[in-house]
Amino acid sequence: MIKKKAIEEICLKNNNAIIVSANGFISRDLFESFDKPDNFYMIGSMGLASSIGLGIATKCPKRKIFIFDGDGNILMNLGSLVTIGFLKPNNLVHFIFDNSSHESTGGQPTMSSKIELEKIAMVTNYKTFKIKTLNELQELLIKLKTISGPVLVLVKVKNNSKISKRVEYEPEQIKEQFMNSIRENN
Amino acid sequence: MDKIDQIELFDFLLKNKVENFIGVPDSTMKHFIHRGLEKNKIIISTREEEAIGIATGMTLAGSKSLVFMQNAGFGNSISTITSLVQMYKIPLIFIIGWRGFLSSDAPEHLLFGKIQPDILKLLGIKTKILDSKTWKKSAEWALKNIEKGNMCALIIRREFHD
Repeated sequence: MIKKKAIEEICLKNNNAIIVSANGFISRDLFESFDKPDNFYMIGSMGLASSIGLGIATKCPKRKIFIFDGDGNILMNLGSLVTIGFLKPNNLVHFIFDNSSHESTGGQPTMSSKIELEKIAMVTNYKTFKIKTLNELQELLIKLKTISGPVLVLVKVKNNSKISKRVEYEPEQIKEQFMNSIRENN
Repeated sequence: MDKIDQIELFDFLLKNKVENFIGVPDSTMKHFIHRGLEKNKIIISTREEEAIGIATGMTLAGSKSLVFMQNAGFGNSISTITSLVQMYKIPLIFIIGWRGFLSSDAPEHLLFGKIQPDILKLLGIKTKILDSKTWKKSAEWALKNIEKGNMCALIIRREFHD
């Protein structure tokens, strides 16, 4: 499955979820395919999307929080799996789009080709799922509505053939529109 | 900052609606952290950058937050500060323990302790050093800063050996 297709499918079926997206091509794909005020595009601070998502999840218990992470990103902050598993936010769904590479920096390999990230998450109190096809993803998205988190979904993806455009908002604008949206809907 | 000052500092910040205290422990501020643990308001993270990420998320959700760390961890956090906290203008209070303040401190702290004031200055971080006589004024200053949407740092000097 192509990464952008997976992102589109998840967003279309969950348009009320707050989304925190990792830097690089993941934020660009989300911006191009499903921009909305309660997306937080993390355009720097590589590795921290899951930590930012955790902070939001603990303070917005009535909302669903989706983290759109990458394999390179989570490998920089594996401790985050421990903290999330310890605090156990039941409204948090952590997607890892795993292409076994640092796509945004030129496709250098990551270690997820030999290490199963979902098994690490399993021992840190996540409910874990591994997805390879669009059909599997569609079935899981229905099931997810009734599963209490933290949930980790490892989605094996192939890179897009075309690079999505950069996030066009200024960082402060991303923050302001995100915070306003949370205030209005929390 | 002795034990009583650190406890009073925690209580003062809590009373002034700082709701979340996230960080990596430092013996320089252990009484502050213990007070927070007693009040069930502390999250100990695995690394300082992670603490900043969690506190950023809480702040984005409208909840006032503070991060605490030793200066060694502040060194770890510089890129997170520039590309997350400063770039998005996230109003966070940092409390940083100043190891290497005394030239007789342990060797691993000496170089960073020496260059810490310059690094804070280079980053353009507004800073106040806490002491027994003026800590309340400094804490009020920090609260005003985050009200205005700015990050700032409060420094606790390591003035003892153990």
